[in-house]
Amino acid sequence: MLESISNLFFFRNFRARRFRNKLVNCFQSEFAEEFLQLLLNLMSLMFYLDRDFRRNIKGFNARYLFKSRDSGITVAAVFRNGKMKVLEKEINGTNVTVIFKDHKALKNFLLSPKPDILQAILNQDVTYTGNLNYLSKFAYMAKHLQLMTTRGL
Amino acid sequence: MNKVTIDDISLREYHLGNLDLLRDLRKLHFASKSEVCIERARYITAYLRDKSDPDDPPVIRQAKAINYFLSNKEPLFPDDNLLAGTTTTKVMGAPIYPELTGLAIWPELETISDRGKNPQQLTKEDADVLNLEIFPFWIDGNVMEVARKRYNNPDCQRLFEQFVFFIASKAGCISHTVPDFRKALGKGLNYIIEEAVSKETGIRQKGALSGEDQEKIDFYRAVQIAMQGIINYAANLGRKASELAEAEKDPGKKQNFQAMAAVCGKVPAGPATTFREAVNSLWLIHIAIHAENINMAMSPGRLDQILYGFYKKDIDEGRLTVREAIELTGSLWLKLADNVNLVPETAEELWGGAGTAPAVTLGGIDTEGEDAVNDLTYIMLKVTELLKTRDPSMNARYHYEKNTKEYRDRVSEVIVNTKAVPAFHNDVVDIKILEAQGTQTEHARDYAIIGCVELSSSGRSYDASSSIMLNLVAPLELTLYNGKRPVTGDKQIGPVSGDPAGFKSFEELREAFGKQLTWLIGEAVQLNEYFGRIHQELIPTPLLSAFFEGPMEKGRDLIYGGALYNSSGATHIGFADTVDSLNALEKAVFIDKECTISELLDAIKADFAGYEKLRRYLVNKTPKYGTEDPVAVKNSQNLIHFLYETYQGYTNYRGGRYRPAYWTMTNHSGQGRLAGALPNGRKSGEAFASGITPVSGAAKELTACLNAVAGLESRCIPGGEALNLKYTTVEGRNDLEKFGQTIEAYFRLGGLQVQFNIMSYETLLDAKKHPEKDPGLMVRVSGYSAYFNDLNDKMKDELITRTEYNLRTGKSVPFPGF
Repeated sequence: MLESISNLFFFRNFRARRFRNKLVNCFQSEFAEEFLQLLLNLMSLMFYLDRDFRRNIKGFNARYLFKSRDSGITVAAVFRNGKMKVLEKEINGTNVTVIFKDHKALKNFLLSPKPDILQAILNQDVTYTGNLNYLSKFAYMAKHLQLMTTRGL
Repeated sequence: MNKVTIDDISLREYHLGNLDLLRDLRKLHFASKSEVCIERARYITAYLRDKSDPDDPPVIRQAKAINYFLSNKEPLFPDDNLLAGTTTTKVMGAPIYPELTGLAIWPELETISDRGKNPQQLTKEDADVLNLEIFPFWIDGNVMEVARKRYNNPDCQRLFEQFVFFIASKAGCISHTVPDFRKALGKGLNYIIEEAVSKETGIRQKGALSGEDQEKIDFYRAVQIAMQGIINYAANLGRKASELAEAEKDPGKKQNFQAMAAVCGKVPAGPATTFREAVNSLWLIHIAIHAENINMAMSPGRLDQILYGFYKKDIDEGRLTVREAIELTGSLWLKLADNVNLVPETAEELWGGAGTAPAVTLGGIDTEGEDAVNDLTYIMLKVTELLKTRDPSMNARYHYEKNTKEYRDRVSEVIVNTKAVPAFHNDVVDIKILEAQGTQTEHARDYAIIGCVELSSSGRSYDASSSIMLNLVAPLELTLYNGKRPVTGDKQIGPVSGDPAGFKSFEELREAFGKQLTWLIGEAVQLNEYFGRIHQELIPTPLLSAFFEGPMEKGRDLIYGGALYNSSGATHIGFADTVDSLNALEKAVFIDKECTISELLDAIKADFAGYEKLRRYLVNKTPKYGTEDPVAVKNSQNLIHFLYETYQGYTNYRGGRYRPAYWTMTNHSGQGRLAGALPNGRKSGEAFASGITPVSGAAKELTACLNAVAGLESRCIPGGEALNLKYTTVEGRNDLEKFGQTIEAYFRLGGLQVQFNIMSYETLLDAKKHPEKDPGLMVRVSGYSAYFNDLNDKMKDELITRTEYNLRTGKSVPFPGF
């Protein structure tokens, strides 16, 4: 039992490192392919691995849907009971739905050096329906993840 | 009675060289970096989350939350200021109001200390508290989100959230008002508590209580709770000052702590009997108002009138010297400047650089219609001249029939010496405007300025003067693109008003513009009403209500219409660019037939690339607002009338009317950045003209410019206006005389307000290039003052390129180019 837990932990650690490396490349590159999936998967793993980061979702129940404008990408993030699930499908009852032009627009929206939701909305690169505060919280968590991976927070 | 007894109204013997206290405090002010203060957010959240009684009605819940915060607020004495009390725990603090728009900085919590524009220091510990404790509590509960849920994500809110049509300020504040301090200073807060108890008892003695009776009882109870919170804070300050006095070795500092302990032991609970007590009492109440309401344009009002009686008595009885009055006034000015707004970085980039604009108003006439200028007016002007701080936002009223020429010239001299402040306001016209809005004459005479330029009968009128900031270029573009705007893509935003290519006359185009404008105003008003209702439920204002005429008499909170007078302000961005674009369309398409509308539209869609000849024609040959061209005069007058009639047709949730205004803060720069090219030849992304000021370079003659602005019917501008003028230089008595005469002539023609930057193109170009040379360079933006270095580059450029006039010749000075 202990061994399987330990294996699971190391496996997740290994996966986290892999995602992190990919995400760092993604942060640092002009290309943003698969940015959203990488971000959400790493976020989900880091909630498992990092107790401090996990505090962000303690008691936090929320449903997010991210869709590209051409509907080519649909990814949902569901936070419940201190855990985060990533689903590659449409979900109902979201607190906020984010429609983005492309991965690059979403990356700029969440993680530009000036992490500001207003600018992206003004540029019409990213639009949303629902509660803006949930989006602000998500942007904070994404930014924190970026700082963890790039600054080693 | 002559209220001016000082021999030298310029008070030349006083300067920072011999006012050590003010010199040192000013130095500290400019050296202090802004820091985020979470104290208020922490206490208010903790109360509402852990301690509030779910059965309490909103007004009592709010009062208890404010009482809890004020009673626990840390008593701090961060410097040698003569006044006790601080708005935040920081020397220069940015408080957070999570029930409003405070959560907008959530994404920036870990980067705000290092952000490029106007960073705010925030410790990791405080960021964690915000992220994990405070913000989650409000995630579904701030004004924006409660409104969204209540009204099912209404179209008007979605329109607002695109930011390029209008800004509904109630998402972030209600504020923007002038309370009345007279009762509180003269009788004390215990008197107000007793008054509330007496009213409550009177209603209870009636026996069977109606729902309305119960609401009144709740309100009076809330006032008592809120007032007690202020008294508790003062008591804590007094105790702390005593402790510090005990421990202090320096005799001067010891004496100051002792004096503050004595003051806090007396006011604001009891009546002030000295100038120092009155000033400190006023400051403590101002802090408390900010504990309840956001720090935006909560304006102290006519301080030279409110405080004069205390000053005069002390002077007459030998308890106070002019020097001491200057030091106390200076202490108040620096206290009023001890806090800043907290906004996200993009907001700083687009609109930033503003202080909190607590407006102080000097001079003018009194309620009897007589000259109100007194010794304290000149002391306050002197302090303004010496300190040159962004806040308080300084305003001088001038009644050209009652005030003296000496006063006019002294105000002019202070403007020249500070290069920017105070702004001049026309008493004769302003009073008539307020009368036309239904304000009694004596009350109209006692008006003060709110924030930037807005008019309010002090402590009687709850004006929420910044409720709507509407971008006039938006309906213009909606007209040109048949209900769409380039910045929002192909989405149909406004009504279909017809393909402009099919318009056969300018009248048809004007009708289409009217249709889009009417629709947009309707949306903005609708959202303001929604937000107003949510404010009523979530955040009543029992504390502020106690400092107004009306609520105590009616037993009704300000937010429910308790004040004697009520209104909502709607200001406009892009007035001059819109008028000039209408002028250009009329002249180019329908009079000169220089081009068709389609050709003009093609040119603006291309941002005039390939259409340089047409652009030159539009810039140089079409009528400009700010000249006496009849087309320009007609279109500017028509627009002012149209807006007035449309807004006045609405009644707000407090029973007041909507008042159109023309001041823009820095929004003309931010909105300009997001707008496409316009028919007046303005290129895409360029700043709009500020306030009611003509487009830069459009008005070549100063006299014609002033005639044009003064010619706008003032009755139709009840919310106030900001006219920005820039003069190359004003040197010597002759220039100063001409400066004053020009203002007077403008006022006699009917102009409402004027504000200045006394600096040349070259000065500002150099300031942009070398920000280190004069870090405290203060400029007048559009209604308020800012430090030039705090502004974004676009706003700096707008200030640089504003038309500069040579006062001696009355001609504009050619812009040398960047």
